[in-house]
Amino acid sequence: MSTQPFPDDDAERKRNRFHFDRHTPEYRERFEEITGEMLGKCPVAWSDTYGGHWVAAGHPEVFELARSAEYVSNDHDPNNERRGYRGISIPSPDIGFRGGFLEMDPPEQRHYRQALNPYLSPAAVNRWRPLVDDVVRASLNEKIESGQIDFVDDLANVVPAVLTLAMLGVPLANWDIYVEPVHASVYTSPNSPDMARIQQSRIAMRDDMFRQLAEIRANPRPGMINALAQAQILGATPADGELLGVISLIIGGGFDTTTALTSHALEWLSQHPAERERLSRERDTLLDPATEEFLRYYTPAPGDGRTISADCEIAGQQFKEGERLWLSWAMSNRDPEVFPNPNEIDLARTGNRHHSFGLGLHRCIGSNVARMVFKRMIVAVLDRMPDFACDPARAEHYDTIGIIQGMKHLPATFTPSRKIGDGLAETIARLQVVVDEERLAEPVTVRKGAAEIL
Amino acid sequence: MKVYVDPERCQGHTLCAMIAPDVFTLDDVDGHSSARDGEVPADQEAKAADAVRSCPEQAISIIP
Repeated sequence: MSTQPFPDDDAERKRNRFHFDRHTPEYRERFEEITGEMLGKCPVAWSDTYGGHWVAAGHPEVFELARSAEYVSNDHDPNNERRGYRGISIPSPDIGFRGGFLEMDPPEQRHYRQALNPYLSPAAVNRWRPLVDDVVRASLNEKIESGQIDFVDDLANVVPAVLTLAMLGVPLANWDIYVEPVHASVYTSPNSPDMARIQQSRIAMRDDMFRQLAEIRANPRPGMINALAQAQILGATPADGELLGVISLIIGGGFDTTTALTSHALEWLSQHPAERERLSRERDTLLDPATEEFLRYYTPAPGDGRTISADCEIAGQQFKEGERLWLSWAMSNRDPEVFPNPNEIDLARTGNRHHSFGLGLHRCIGSNVARMVFKRMIVAVLDRMPDFACDPARAEHYDTIGIIQGMKHLPATFTPSRKIGDGLAETIARLQVVVDEERLAEPVTVRKGAAEIL
Repeated sequence: MKVYVDPERCQGHTLCAMIAPDVFTLDDVDGHSSARDGEVPADQEAKAADAVRSCPEQAISIIP
């Protein structure tokens, strides 16, 4: 890495060019081909799309760039108070607020993470496992006697939403205010006739977030919202608008990504029944590496935008201050130099240094939540619906994978069996009492023990 | 052999402790890893080496 000034020769600097448009259906359809071409010819390339930006696809290049925080900024500055940088979305959205600490640089970013780490560390997250198992059990109960389930609508959308709200300190029963706008607004095209209804649901969600923040400010109750309401960021209490960006980040990160991972994994296991049987049988040793392999292969959040904050040369490429950069976690996860047979799923893969949670100081703060919830859902399906068969004709993937590589629907059939215990609504009402009485949403610094659910 | 986790590089991915829980320990508050004291037991060396290879931040080194 060096910072020597270099001649203003754009043609030479941008000689590796690739027309890269991840928002088109073609990118989804030809993902392996495009990825192979970029990895082979131009692991860092200049693309003319969206006002022009760099694209990093190679594993070593993404590794080095993502960890160069002194030259690569996440800042989103919609009011032009600093340098006018445009955050992590390419193209940048028209909305005039920052997307929480993922669109901040240190030290501000670090202050937020320090406030939230004691809620999201492995020790903190493991306390929630009994509650997660109960929500999973109840979600499956709703469908177990019918022999039919939509793994997206009936399981993978529900559990991450209920847990995320519980950890925030929001009433669990509000999950259905949040789940539809978060999930549907990712995949619904702005021109869709359904967009008006989804906009309405987004407004309802935003209203509820405001209400929860105001309530918790007035009458503190445990959870991440309380931590944010009390946090001193750069020595001051942040404005409500800034905190709503942070809460939206936690919700956006906590819901649809885990849903996407779970649905894709279940679809693959349905297509590979022998591997499914092996995963179930050898779960004690295989579930951990299999989870990392599904994360690598399906990369639910396929990448992040950045802005170059100082002229620099990184990974053999010269960059100029102000240039935009796309770090593709998804393409770097298919680099054959790091992952033998990168386009194959190997449940027992070792040395799996995937980038699915990002890298460096912005590593997904919810990664421990995602892993735990995913594993509990998969294991419960393997136990209670071991012969499930997804219906390929009715499985619906997102049309584009520019933001989340997810699924809209994944219907499946299975041999029906009996319910175990109560249904979802009763379970959520019962768990709310447990959350309140045991103060489960306290940080791990205050409460160490796991949830006790009778 | 011994292992060392560079605290400046570790970002709390937790893969090392998942692969070799007897070799690495995670901080309760931020999940960042450190090596347990002393020599890696002989029967844990292969797991420790796998953890080194698997670290997304390349934060772990082996001290022979």
